This record gives sequence, C-alpha cells and structure tokens, in this order.
Amino acid sequence: MADEIKKEEKRKVYYIFSPFLRIFHWIMVVSITVLFITGLLITTPYLTYSAEPTTSWMSLDWIRNIHFLFAYIFTASFILRIYGFIINRGDRLFPHFWKGYFYKNSIEVAMHYMFLKFEHKPFLRNPLARGAYAMIYVLVAIEIVTGFGIYYMTDTSSIGGMAFGWVVPFLGSEYMAHLIHHYVAWGIVLSALGHIYMVIRAEFMEGEGEVSSMFAGTKMLHHEPFDAGHLDGSLK
Amino acid sequence: MKERESLWDHYLKKGMSRRSFVKGCVALTSLMGLSTDMVGKVVEAAEKTPLPVVVWIHGHECTGCDESFIRSGSPLTSDLVLNEIALEYDHLLSAGCGEPFEAHLDATIQKYYGKYILAVEGATTTKDGGVYCMSGGHTFSHLLKKASAGACAVVAYGSCAAYGGIQAAKPNPTASSGIGSFVSGKPVVNVPGCPPIPEVMTGVIMHLALFGQLPPLDSEGRPKQFYGNRIHDTCYRRPFFDAGMFAETFDDKGAKAGWCLYKLGCRGPETYNSCGNLRWFQGMSYPIQSGAPCIGCSNKHFWDEDPLLERMPKYAPVGNVDKIGAVAAGAMAVGVAAHAVVSIAQKNMKEAKELENKKE
Repeated sequence: MADEIKKEEKRKVYYIFSPFLRIFHWIMVVSITVLFITGLLITTPYLTYSAEPTTSWMSLDWIRNIHFLFAYIFTASFILRIYGFIINRGDRLFPHFWKGYFYKNSIEVAMHYMFLKFEHKPFLRNPLARGAYAMIYVLVAIEIVTGFGIYYMTDTSSIGGMAFGWVVPFLGSEYMAHLIHHYVAWGIVLSALGHIYMVIRAEFMEGEGEVSSMFAGTKMLHHEPFDAGHLDGSLK
Repeated sequence: MKERESLWDHYLKKGMSRRSFVKGCVALTSLMGLSTDMVGKVVEAAEKTPLPVVVWIHGHECTGCDESFIRSGSPLTSDLVLNEIALEYDHLLSAGCGEPFEAHLDATIQKYYGKYILAVEGATTTKDGGVYCMSGGHTFSHLLKKASAGACAVVAYGSCAAYGGIQAAKPNPTASSGIGSFVSGKPVVNVPGCPPIPEVMTGVIMHLALFGQLPPLDSEGRPKQFYGNRIHDTCYRRPFFDAGMFAETFDDKGAKAGWCLYKLGCRGPETYNSCGNLRWFQGMSYPIQSGAPCIGCSNKHFWDEDPLLERMPKYAPVGNVDKIGAVAAGAMAVGVAAHAVVSIAQKNMKEAKELENKKE
C-alpha cells in the first residue's frame, strides 16, 4: 500500500477528559442551543394569528417552560463538571494566570493563529483555549445569576429567592437584568461558533484527535506536549 | 396616652355600633393585604392602639401621589385623614399656612418625638446645597432631616421619594435622589409608583398605625403584600401572552381583541405592583386594561428606560441587539472562512518546506 494511505508512526495516547466532563460538555451543547433558541422566541414571540390557542401545539407558555427546564438541567450538570474536576487532573482547565509560562505560551499560540509563526509548540490543552474557556464559564455564571435572579423574583421568600434576591437590586432594575442576560447569551453563542471553528481547525491542522477527545477523552500526539506534566502533577 | 384615641374610642364617640366597628376592621384587614385569620389581631389593635400621628411632607415632585391618595375608595381618604390617623401636618391638605403652620410642625415634632410616622412624597435635591427644592425657607433636605429625626418610621410615597423619580432622569440637573440617605437609622417603607395605587398608600399607613411595626418588606424595602407580584403574573391578559397572541400595533386586530401588549413595550414582566389584582379606583381599571402597555412606573430608573413602547431586542442602549448579534455572527463566519483558507495555505507551505528539508 502506498505511503500516503498507510504509514507507521509513533504516537502517545493521553487520557485527558473524564466521562463526567465529556457528558457535561454535551449537556452544555444541547442546553445552550435550546436556551438560546427559546430565549430569542421569548424576547420576540412569533404570532399565532391563524391558530386558536387550543389548536396550536406550541405556546409561549411552553417555550418558557422549556427554557426554564433546560436552565435547571444545565445548572445541575455542573455537578458532573465539579466531580470530574475533583477526581481527574485532565479536567482541571483553569488557566495558570499566576505562572510566567502561561503568558509566554499564550503569546506563542496567538502569534501562530495570526499567521506570524508557522506553528506553536504542542499542547494537550493550549493556554489560549484554557483562557477562553475560563471566560465562557464567567459568561455562563452571569447567565445563571441573572436568569435565576429574574426567575425567582416571583417567590422571593423561597430558597432560590433568598439566594438570588440580591441580583435585581444590585443591577438597579429588572430590565437591566434582562438586557445583560440577552447580551451575554449572544456572547456565549458567538464564542461557541469560534470554539467550533478552532476545534475543527486544530483537528485539520494537527490530526491529533482534538474533536474526538470530547467523545473518547483521549488525544494522540506525535510530539511531546509541553503541558503533559499537568496530567500527573509533575509540571509545577 | 388618653390624649390620643384609638379607632374604637373614635367609633364610641361617634355613637357607632360595635358591629360596624368589626366590619370596618374586616375591611381594613383585607385592604392591608392580610389574610382573614388576622382579623382578631386587627380588632385588638384597633381597640388599643392610639391613632398614629402623621406628618406628611412634600419635596421635589408633582403632587400626583396626593391626587391618587385622595381617590382612595376603601377606606375613603376623608375617613382615613379625619378618623383613622391624626394628620398633624401636610403641605397639601392642611388648611393652615405661613409661620403658624411651620411652628405647628415644630410643636408636633417635639410633642410626639419618636412616635409619629413621617410620610414623604417627592425626591430630595442635592446639587448646590439642595436649593432646587425649598420648603418653609429651608432646603427640603433640611426639613427631611429635621422631620425624620423624631419619626418612628418613614414612608416614602411614590417613585420620587423612593428612587428619585422623573426629575432624576438623565442628566439629572438637580442631582435628585430618593430620600433613603437622608433618613439614616429610621426604618423606611418604599411605596413606589407614579403614583402608587391609592389603596396601597392607605393600606401601608394603616399597617404601621395598627401594628406599630413595618409590614414585611422585600429587598428593595417595598411591602411584600403589595409589591410581591409582577403585573405580568397577575395580568388578566396573561393567557394571551401564554398562548402567543399579541397586539403588534395599537390599531390592529389583536389590540381590538384585547390581546397581550408585550410586543408594544409592556413593562409588566419587570414591574412589581398591585395593578393587576387591586387595579385602580375601586377596581375600575388599570393601564393595561385600557389598552396602554405598562411603563413600569414603580420601577427604579423606569424614567430612563425609554423608548417605553419598545421591548428587547429593539429596546437597548446600543440598538437592536439581535440584529447586531446576527451581523456579528455573519462577520465571524466570513472571518472564520478567511482564517481557514490562510491556515490551509500555511499548512501546505509548512509541509512543502518539511519535504524539502527531508530531501536535502
């Protein structure tokens, strides 16, 4: 067989993502998609001029309930994320802001993405991506806080009302909470588009299992990655 | 304390029956937003508690709250003012004026120090020493400090007293603000609204009068029994919202049929008030019932949340956010495609170079 079709080479397989992180990730994908679509429909409801409400199968009431249901599912799925974080080093993606190499490596990756460098050194989880994920979690946290802040105002004496009752007064008005919730939703979706592109691009450029890692949990690298020591704790 | 009578004393003096007294107490219970098993306590309080002394002052405002207040149907404002509270001083309703009137304020504050209820309408102005709102030769903030020092509780009537109101709208040239920071240490009940519902105004003061304590307040200091529900959640047009039936313009089929005004900018989903359940003027109507979307007049900053007839996505400080988002997503797709093309080119270059190196 020709060399182009089949070649033998040495690769190392790294187990990175626990099943908990992977399940969380896919719950997040579904939730964000559903939450974004239902959110847009709540903001700008379509009209049902033609149908009587008794005959239309989907009402704004249902759309809101679906939005709330997926908000709860998404929030609850963080239990998986946190459990994975505790048991598996590979799930710990927080960018190492306090380390010098974080900035050095981030700049290197950014320069490669701006075509100023031919390549960046290999990473299991590159520092720029980790920084971006941290930002996504901040956006998601804002969504959760503003969302429940608005939601629980119907019953301020409940546990949720006591936990999130400060949000609307803190932001000044409930409309402000709606605005922020809506803006940040767009921020998350735009970031997700960027994320999808970057992942597919990495798979295309390196062919080291970037896409499949979120199914299988492993990546297969030709080179020795800089941050392999993160997995066993040897990189301080 | 015999100098101040209770409600029951008042009934006795007027020769009214015990039966009508109890009936009055039942009415009071419901207008204060309490459940009927509280009737016993209300009767007890009305028998024993002396009628509260109220001092009512007006700041930077339009007196619209009074216009609302005097239209209270249960209790009738005349009943409340003449029989149920001892209104010692009121800028608007008092017959007296001039120096004797101001002297009476000082005398009232001294005589009932620590016992009277201070009702405040209108914002305070803070710019240039507060000269933009004067009362009795002093700034209103001076009067507010003086009157609140001896008050047992302060009721902030209207969005002005609670949050600053219309005159606090950008750019707020007089630096108007709510009264909260001028009555330090005193418990404040916020009764926002532009104006508040008359029965809410009388209900709050009756609660203070009969129980001698503040009604349960939410995180913004508003009485929960009147501000615990969104107008949206109590609106009689809510079923149209749930079914997805909306008026899109003020003269379309939906508007005529009385469908939901959400798409016409209704602020009901963000507004906490009793318009939906109490309604106005003995349950006659309220803005949404008469076909006008709620403007959220009991909300902090509602005056700056214009245009009031637009909701998101069109309402937004930066324009239609959904259009901006869609354009951003489109721009991103173009950028991504360009980046992908360059990435492929770069990869090919790199591979060609590696191949060359191998050959050498």
